[in-house]
Parts: sequence; structure tokens; C-alpha cells
Amino acid sequence: MKPSDLALPASSRREGLPATLLLAPFVIVFLLFFLVPAGVTFWMSLTESSLTRTNAFVGLANYHTLLNDPSFWDSVLNTFYFALLTVIPLTALGLVMALLVNRFVKAQAWLQGVFFLPFVLPISVMTLIADWMLQPSSGVINHILGIHRPWLADPYWALPAVAIGTVWWTVGFNMLLFLAGLRNIPADLYEAAALDGARGLTLFRSITWPALRPVATTALILQVIASLKVFGQTYILTSGGPFNTTRVTLHYMYETAFTQSDAGYAAAIAMAFVTIVILLSVLQAGVVRWLARRDA
Amino acid sequence: MARREWKLGAAVALLVSLAWGPAPAWAQVEVRMWTLLSGGDGARMRALVDDFNASQREVRVVSTTLKWGEPFYTKLITSSVVGAGPDVATVHLSRLVNLAGGGVLRPISDAELAAVGLKGSDYLPRQWEKSRWQGKTWAVPLDTHPLVLYYNKTLLRPTGLLDAEGRLKPIEGVDALTDAFRIATEASHRRGLTMESSQSSFAIWRLWLSMLAQQNVAIVRNGQYSYGAAGEATLARISDWFRKGYAQAGLDYPASTSQFMGGGAAFMLNGVWEVPELVRASKAGTLGFEYGIVPLPTMYANASAWADSHAFAIPANAGRPPSPQKVNAVLRFVAYVSRHSMGWAEGGHIPAYRAVAESPEALALQPNAQYAAAAHNVVYDPDGWYMGAAGPLEAIASKFLPAALYGYMTPAQAIKRFEQEGARLIRKQPPRY
Repeated sequence: MKPSDLALPASSRREGLPATLLLAPFVIVFLLFFLVPAGVTFWMSLTESSLTRTNAFVGLANYHTLLNDPSFWDSVLNTFYFALLTVIPLTALGLVMALLVNRFVKAQAWLQGVFFLPFVLPISVMTLIADWMLQPSSGVINHILGIHRPWLADPYWALPAVAIGTVWWTVGFNMLLFLAGLRNIPADLYEAAALDGARGLTLFRSITWPALRPVATTALILQVIASLKVFGQTYILTSGGPFNTTRVTLHYMYETAFTQSDAGYAAAIAMAFVTIVILLSVLQAGVVRWLARRDA
Repeated sequence: MARREWKLGAAVALLVSLAWGPAPAWAQVEVRMWTLLSGGDGARMRALVDDFNASQREVRVVSTTLKWGEPFYTKLITSSVVGAGPDVATVHLSRLVNLAGGGVLRPISDAELAAVGLKGSDYLPRQWEKSRWQGKTWAVPLDTHPLVLYYNKTLLRPTGLLDAEGRLKPIEGVDALTDAFRIATEASHRRGLTMESSQSSFAIWRLWLSMLAQQNVAIVRNGQYSYGAAGEATLARISDWFRKGYAQAGLDYPASTSQFMGGGAAFMLNGVWEVPELVRASKAGTLGFEYGIVPLPTMYANASAWADSHAFAIPANAGRPPSPQKVNAVLRFVAYVSRHSMGWAEGGHIPAYRAVAESPEALALQPNAQYAAAAHNVVYDPDGWYMGAAGPLEAIASKFLPAALYGYMTPAQAIKRFEQEGARLIRKQPPRY
């Protein structure tokens, strides 16, 4: 083999510069706003630090404390509970809404607008509306149900109530994902199936769902990550209360860093939580792939 | 150039010259203040600022009100350590160890105080002592606001708990107080007691601290919880009042005060800051009952009552320390407010400036005179970087102690969770921010 064979073909070399230029913005942003901060966070998690200064290198002491900190594990459980309460409804409801929008051709634009509207609200507005709707005596939800439950002050109902508010707020995005998927299914498939006498649920089971499965998988993975990142809703609506029943991990990290100015320990919480989320995502992706292979 | 554009250009030029032009000879020193005072306190402080600004032309105070509690202190700490804080801030003396020790505040020297005619002995000793830490002065106290017991004379009249003049007979001991709540509940068919009791309320912590101090029990000693069995027993006494129905659990702050103001409860445990609202409603004729106020009753060995103080402090503003001129301007304002704190006393607070606190007008001021004795027995949150108003430990306590009133946790469980979550804090070195 001649050395010249190893060199890039002339065309590749010519494309090298534009490629670098095009990639550079992303690489720079990724380095500056992700990789470097992540590295700094990891370093901080090995120290005892306050908000602006590092006091001492403590090795793995923060992680050791973390393992035996019931508050941390409670917050992780709360986060998973929140994900459990939101992921399935958000994905399923998004699909149902998309099917509805797709079905009622005449009202399509209107329905799509109504379903998507809450998603454009900023979190401060969403939480205000949710708070009004959930008020014990004046809220519309209690009015409809004919009860006087103090949703957000009730240790058993506070997190489900926040979850309901979140579903209402963000389901529009999943609807759009499914809608895009639905519109990619060629109409002649349905026509051919209809000629063969298939209708209703059979159409859904044998054409719509298989075609939508990749979309559903994407929606599910995005949703799990989004739900595990929950912070704003619980912070504003319940400040983690009552009795920490709605304090999620990011909230615990915030409290540790800012109220208790223990940035080192907060960094350890962040690192541990990121690890948990990554492990979970890998596991989820593996399961999804395995299911797909089994069905193939 | 078109006529309109020419006008626009001239206007811009004028604005630019105003903004960057040479300072006029009568330039004022502008003092930016952050305050956490809202409601009636906020209005009174605003009036003091306006009066001060009108009284002279050298210093102008511009005040910004921020949300009380943890957000205020987080913002003060972070802004001061990066040099972006205000020139002066109102703080709670209970946070002094945290703020001074963390490098958030700038000490104030005796000479700087003397330059505006102030000295330590101008202030009540307990408050002045609490403004000092490690031999330096870090704040100038404004007031004391203790926990007191409000009562509804109209509801209590048939119960025999009042004397011939309609004043509450002295209540001695925790059993006597519990009895008073029971009698009041039974006689009035309303609540015997109201106090803030929802999740994240601070009132339980204040009462619990007072009751432990009355038993001469310290909360924390040498980095360990030191109240022993008294902690749980005391919380159980409080939760008993709620379990027996003398008081209603789950009331947030506005709900608890309106329960008392609406005649729905015979007693109210609260700070003195509700006094102005009672005075106002009483004057307007909308209160519907006569009220009285006494210091927190002696339930155990002494009459200790939780209190805190507002004070003025100068943020350190790292890398951008205030000029001597600025410090002088700040202290001129502080001295003015001290000397005019009679208006502040009308907010229910006990002034810290002696000449005002001990003046005949202050001693005669009603209803303040009824609870003035409370000032002799005040206990602050214990010293510790994690202590104080909306501080980390109080935040933790306010999450778990109310759970014992709801019945969501037993007193033992509530105390245990409070200890578990606070343990890391009290073992830790005080942070330098």
C-alpha cells in the first residue's frame, strides 16, 4: 500500500474546511456549555465548596454521605414517582389527541390549536393557572368533583396534582410528534386494507400502530428524560412540600446549593442523578431494541 | 437631513449629554437599599425613607423591596460576594452569624458610627450584643419583634379567664395554658387557639424554641442536637392542642390571622407584627370584639419568648467595597431612622433605639404597653451559621414539625426527620461564601 492511498481523496480535502466551519459552532457550544461545566461539576463534587469558593478537597466523601442520605433517596423516589405519573398519560393522551385531530378533518386546525395551546405558556403562567384550578374552595377542579380537597397541601395528592397540571401543560408537544408520524403513513395502505375489508381497530392495529411505533419510542424516551428533569412546577406550586412529598432531586440539589450553600454536595447530587438517568436511558433503549428484534 | 430625523438626533444628543455630562455641583450620594419588609412594615419603612429624603439634600435613599425569606437572603449573599449587592440592606439579627461569618457583610467601626452621632449604648443591650460578632459590629438594630399571645376579650368574658378589668389573668404553666385553650374552646364553640399551622409554617418552630428555652434546654451544642427527650415531649404538647381540636391544623398564615380577626378563635399565638392590623380594624370599627395582648405565658421554668430583630447592615460587595463617603451616607440614614423609630413602634415592634424605646410616648403607646415586658425575656434563634430567619435549619423544621400537628407524622417521627435532614448542616464548617 502506497502512502498516498491513505490520504483523503481530493474531494474530501476540499470539503474539510466547510465541514469544520459548519461543525464548529456546535462543537464550541457543546464544549463551552456542556463538557466544561460537566467537568467542573464533577471536580466540585469532590470538594467542600460554598457558592463561590472551594474550601477543601474531600475526595469521595460527598458521595459517601449521599449513599446514606435518606433525603436524597426520598427525592429520587419522588422523581421516579412523578415520571411514572406523567410518562404513560402524556404519551397515550398525545396519541389519542393526534388520532382525533387526524380524524376530524374539518376541525383539524381548531382542535390542534386547542390541544397545543397550553404548551406555549411559560411555566410561571402555567403554575398560576394550575394553582387557581387546584384551590381547595374556589378551584374549578374541586367544583367539578364537588369536593374540597386541598390538593397541593395534601401529602398524598400533591404530587399527582402537579402531575395532572404537567400533563395538561405539555401533552400538546407529544400530539405534534404523533401527528407528524400519522401524516407520514401513505394513504394507499389504508385504501388497500379497506379493499380487503379491514376497518376500525383492525386498521389501527395492523397499519397505524406499526407505522407509529418508532415515533412512540422517541416520544417515550424524550418524555422519560423530560419528566426526570422536573423542577419548576414543584418548586413554584408546592416548594417541595408538604413534608417533602413533592421534593424532587433537582429541587433537593437547588436547596443544597443555594439555601445551605453546600455547592460541593449539590454537585455530587447532580452527578449521581445524571448517572441514574443515563443508566435508565440505556436500559430503556436496550429494552426497546430487544422488543423490536423480537417482533421482527 | 429631514426635519424629523434632525429632531430625533437632537433629542438623543441631549439625553446622552445628560447621562454622561459633568456631575452638577449639588450631586447627591445615592444609597441603594434592599429591604425584605412588606405589608404594613413596608409602608412604614417607605414613609421613613421619604421623610429622610425630604429632610436633607446630600443623601438620597432608593429602596427596593424583595420577597421575604430564603429568596431574599440567597440573593443578598450571592450578590454581595460578587460585588453586585446594594449599599445597605435590612436583615434579621438571627442571621448575623451566617452573614457576618460568611463574608457577606462589612463591619461598621465605632468611628464611623460616631461620625453620625451613634454609639453602642444608644441601643438596648440585648439587641446591640446580637449585632456584634467576634468583637465587631456588623449591623445597627432597628427593633425587636417577639412572639406574644393575643386574646379576644369578648369571647373570653364568660369563661372566668379575665379579671374584673377585662384583662387576662396570669397563666402559669403549660397545663394552665392548655386548660385555658380547652375552656375557651368549650365556652365559645369556636377554636380556643389559632396559629399558623400549615406545612412550611415558621410559627411552630418559634413556639417550640420558646418552650425549650423556657425549660433551659439548648437546641444545639458542639455540633449535636442537645434537647434530648424534651424536644419530642414539647412538640407533643403543641400537637396535643391540635389533636384535641382546640386549634385547627393546616391553616396557612393569612387563614390563621383571619380566623382570629374574624372572631373565630379566642387566642392567637403570633408575632407582634399583627398589631397594626388589629389597631386599624379596631379604630375602623370593623373588628367586632375587644382584644388584649400579653407576653408569651411562662409555661415552664422561665418566661423566654422567641424574638427576632430587624437591623440595617452594609453588604461587603467583594471587589467593589463602599467608599467612606457612601458608608457615611448609609449611616446618616440609619441614624435618622433610629431617631424616628417611634413611627416604627406603631408597627407593633419594640424599638431598639433606647431614647425612643424608653420615651414616655413609647411606654404609653397602646397596645404595645401591654406586652412591653416581653422584651426582657427574648431569645433569638441560637447562634450558628445554619440558624436564623428563613435559615437552612428553620426551613427544615418548618417542613417536618407541622407534620406532627396534621397527624401525618407522630411527634417522634417529625423530630427524627428534622434531625436526620439537619444533621449534615450542624456538623459542617460554617461556609465562607
